[in-house]
Amino acid sequence: MALVTTEFWAQGDFIARSVGMPDIPRVQLPHPVAGSGTKNMTMVAAHILPGILDSLNGKAAIDG
Amino acid sequence: MGELSAVDEAAAVELLHDLGCTDGLPVTVPTPQRVQRMGLAMGYDADLVLGTMGPNMGECTVEKLAVAAVMAGCAPDHAPVVLAAARAVMDPRFDLTEMQATTHAIAPLIVVNGPARDWCQIHGGFGALGPGHRANATIGRALRLAMINIGGGRAGTSDMALLGHPGKFTMCLAEDELNSPFEPMHTGRGFDPSQSTVTVIGVDSPQSVMINLDADDPTSTDRLVQSLAAAFANVTTNNATLGGGQAALALNPDHATFLASRGWTLAQLRERVVDAAVVDHDVLAASAGYLDRPPRPDNTYRCFDEPDDLLVFVAGGGGLYSVAFPSWCAGPHRNQAVTVEIETGQTCAIPGAATL
Repeated sequence: MALVTTEFWAQGDFIARSVGMPDIPRVQLPHPVAGSGTKNMTMVAAHILPGILDSLNGKAAIDG
Repeated sequence: MGELSAVDEAAAVELLHDLGCTDGLPVTVPTPQRVQRMGLAMGYDADLVLGTMGPNMGECTVEKLAVAAVMAGCAPDHAPVVLAAARAVMDPRFDLTEMQATTHAIAPLIVVNGPARDWCQIHGGFGALGPGHRANATIGRALRLAMINIGGGRAGTSDMALLGHPGKFTMCLAEDELNSPFEPMHTGRGFDPSQSTVTVIGVDSPQSVMINLDADDPTSTDRLVQSLAAAFANVTTNNATLGGGQAALALNPDHATFLASRGWTLAQLRERVVDAAVVDHDVLAASAGYLDRPPRPDNTYRCFDEPDDLLVFVAGGGGLYSVAFPSWCAGPHRNQAVTVEIETGQTCAIPGAATL
């Protein structure tokens, strides 16, 4: 499971293809997350948690 | 990508631009004949796989590397240097995949030692990293084009450098061994002076360090050490915030001669600069805000673990300025330099080489 912000989503696609793992589960986060403050990061975490759980349970990767 | 076709040279260059195969500057069109000749100059079979280049994990064959060398404008004499540089960045210790993908502004600096400096006419004096020197410009550019077209490093999708720096076009020079009072850099890395080598290290843009030495001033050498150390131990560098990596220092011939005249060796200089490249915890905490390692008992951080982590070579014109190359200090191997021998004597006779 990879957490990838919007700014790095295309890079994530590129790397996933180049290492032969095009379907690796990824969850998209808004950008930036780093340095955005505890309150914002808590909100982001709450928003993406269901998607992470779905993905870990074998459902498709999500764009958060 | 297979063979392409175009109605003429100009159209071919435009096609290569459109396909994202260039560095943004015009290139020499890599026609089959030109690529074959450059491959002969590399001295190995065209389909020989030299390694893989990340982040695309592309197979780097002699032929693909010859394509990059032709596009960059290399002369056949430059081919073995390009080949050695490519081998160096594909060494696992170099962490090319991570280096291409990072947000940091880092690019491979190529330093050439030994006789290849002369037969390739690689410049090590005034303006060696500036325009006007074909070998310097094209060898570094060939490596970059290989990193783009074989390694897949493209801005914003796989090369995530936030801004980059002009050294990402090309950054190659020779050590000025003739004007150096010290042993050439590659002899300290396990090679004989008669061997030719490339040493490649990922670095930031060059930082001028002004030091006005005075033969009547007994503090001159100490000032030199402190100034050079300060170029790495300022809070804007990853050497200060992260530490643990390697970095490079181009000592100008005047500074080198001054040190040698006072009995200094390169080993002493490295040791003194590395010992002085220290940043105070409180200073760093008040600015960088990125501290993921504990300070030493004296509340400081070292920029380098060992004296050998600072590569020192003599280059540039004589004068006030030596040049520091801070670095990235990340990746699995923490920004290691790699030195590879330039193989001579492999080159085949090249029909029509003058028109390559």
